[in-house]
Amino acid sequence: MLDSIRPKKSTIYLYLLIPVALFIFTVFFPLVSALVYSFFEWKSGPNKIFNGIANYKQLFADQVFWASFGHNLYLVAACIIGQIGIAFILVLFANSRLAKCQTIHRTFGFFPSTISAVCIGMIWSMVYHNKYGILNWFIINVLGRPEWAKVWLNDTKNIMLYVSIPLIWQYIGYYMVIMFSAIAGIDKSIFESAEIDGATGFQTAVHITLPLIRNTLLVCLTLCIAGNMKAFDNIYTMTAGGPGYSSMVMAMYGYKVSFEQSNLGYGSTISVAIFVLSLAVIGGSQWLVKRATRRMEV
Amino acid sequence: MQKSEMTAVRQTSPVGKAIGTVLINLVLWIFSLSCIFPLVWMFYSSFKEKRAFNADIVGLPKVWDPVNYVKILSNKDYHLWQSMWNSLRTTGISIILIVLLSFIVGYILARVRFKLNRPLYLMFLMGMLIPIHSLLVPIYVVFKDANLLDKWYTLLFPYVSFGLPMGIFLTEGYVKGIPVALEEAASIDGAGFSRSLWTIIFPLCRPILVTIAIIQIFGCWNEFSFALVLMNDVNLQTVPLALTQFKGQFASDYPKQMAAMLITMAPIVIMYFAFNGQIIKGMVAGAVKG
Repeated sequence: MLDSIRPKKSTIYLYLLIPVALFIFTVFFPLVSALVYSFFEWKSGPNKIFNGIANYKQLFADQVFWASFGHNLYLVAACIIGQIGIAFILVLFANSRLAKCQTIHRTFGFFPSTISAVCIGMIWSMVYHNKYGILNWFIINVLGRPEWAKVWLNDTKNIMLYVSIPLIWQYIGYYMVIMFSAIAGIDKSIFESAEIDGATGFQTAVHITLPLIRNTLLVCLTLCIAGNMKAFDNIYTMTAGGPGYSSMVMAMYGYKVSFEQSNLGYGSTISVAIFVLSLAVIGGSQWLVKRATRRMEV
Repeated sequence: MQKSEMTAVRQTSPVGKAIGTVLINLVLWIFSLSCIFPLVWMFYSSFKEKRAFNADIVGLPKVWDPVNYVKILSNKDYHLWQSMWNSLRTTGISIILIVLLSFIVGYILARVRFKLNRPLYLMFLMGMLIPIHSLLVPIYVVFKDANLLDKWYTLLFPYVSFGLPMGIFLTEGYVKGIPVALEEAASIDGAGFSRSLWTIIFPLCRPILVTIAIIQIFGCWNEFSFALVLMNDVNLQTVPLALTQFKGQFASDYPKQMAAMLITMAPIVIMYFAFNGQIIKGMVAGAVKG
């Protein structure tokens, strides 16, 4: 702390006024107002009628909302396995002495994560398109199996899988680079001595690399969970939650209720629920991970 | 990326090593080519006419015809130039504000002892944990009451506010690593608080401020959901919004969609391939420390 120069209090508060006021106005004020409006019946007109906990009752009985929450959890699980899992394996490969052109792989692999989710969604809509899509073209012309081709994004049963693939693909390179920088920070002599002791690549990966980059993996896990609880852009561009509600996620549902059905009261209730549930999932997973790793250490 | 001394395949036999080399490099190439393929495919396909594309979706164009670009850029109804300009303005001003304000707040929280130091620190920390998509609807409601929807500066509010917490914590951590002696010496030489803040500390913090700017440039240029909710005026739309309209208008004209996407991606793509080393480093630093 700075004690030799003591700036005037008024100077400090003058400097802080704009950022703090801005932050409170755009972040905390809306949160509080959402909490208030969540107790009102308000169909976007001028009339707001207090209706107690009716919105919350509706929310608890709202199967679409809970299905959306389930879809968010599905995305979280799919991306933990897909992004972090695949990224970890690819990093091990890229780290091997046999791998060539690592810089190119890094540059190319990281690229999709810098593109807007809207573009990614549009590109993958093209990939999935039944007539002009790359996927069906590949199945018909390369694999020679026209019976496997289908209208991918109309498949209610597997739609969540299809919308999660672009998400996974977009961020594999991102997690790869994070893990790679963690591995680069490990003392090289550890790997050398493991090699001299005759450890296989697999053993080194599980018993040396994995524990040593554990903290980085936890960061990736947190990023992954937080990122997928707020999934919106991809879904909006690719399916808008459809067909029906089969790929609906929480943010998308809140948007639909508030702006397409003009139900801002219930939309506010959903917003409060998104807030609480996202925090619960992120906090809960942190707690679980901490417990699990503590047990490992003992 | 420097090579580490780690081996995934042990040197058992030359044949085993050869197979390992092929396998590892094959997997890596499949992955990284899949990441770049869409860009290449969109690039050459955007020079095809709709009919030519529909007849053969992967082949190279027989005639390289820029007609899609000409049509998109010359037709004012598509608002592509306008949306590029809107995105550029919003992103530019947001970045400047995020960097300056994060610097001020981060520095004060790191160095100045005053009553509200801890409460403010906690407030911005909470800001980082708040799931911002729960704000999508509430922010619309508040901005509507405040008559702040559909203004050229509307999006600055959320973009700057959401960028602040990470910026503040990155600066705060960085400033703590600078020896206090520097400011003490400055104050002995008669420099006041503001003077030492801007002439001594600000230049020293350049690396971390560049990192913050890099992270936020991509975030602001690509941001979609808040723009969707807060901006209805077509003349004020940012790039991602304009693209979703394109998708609706040209549902079956893929080459046109591709041309539009490539135009709007161009600034980001060029920047990325020119500075990817620093960009990747900055994004990773932000992700891990933030």
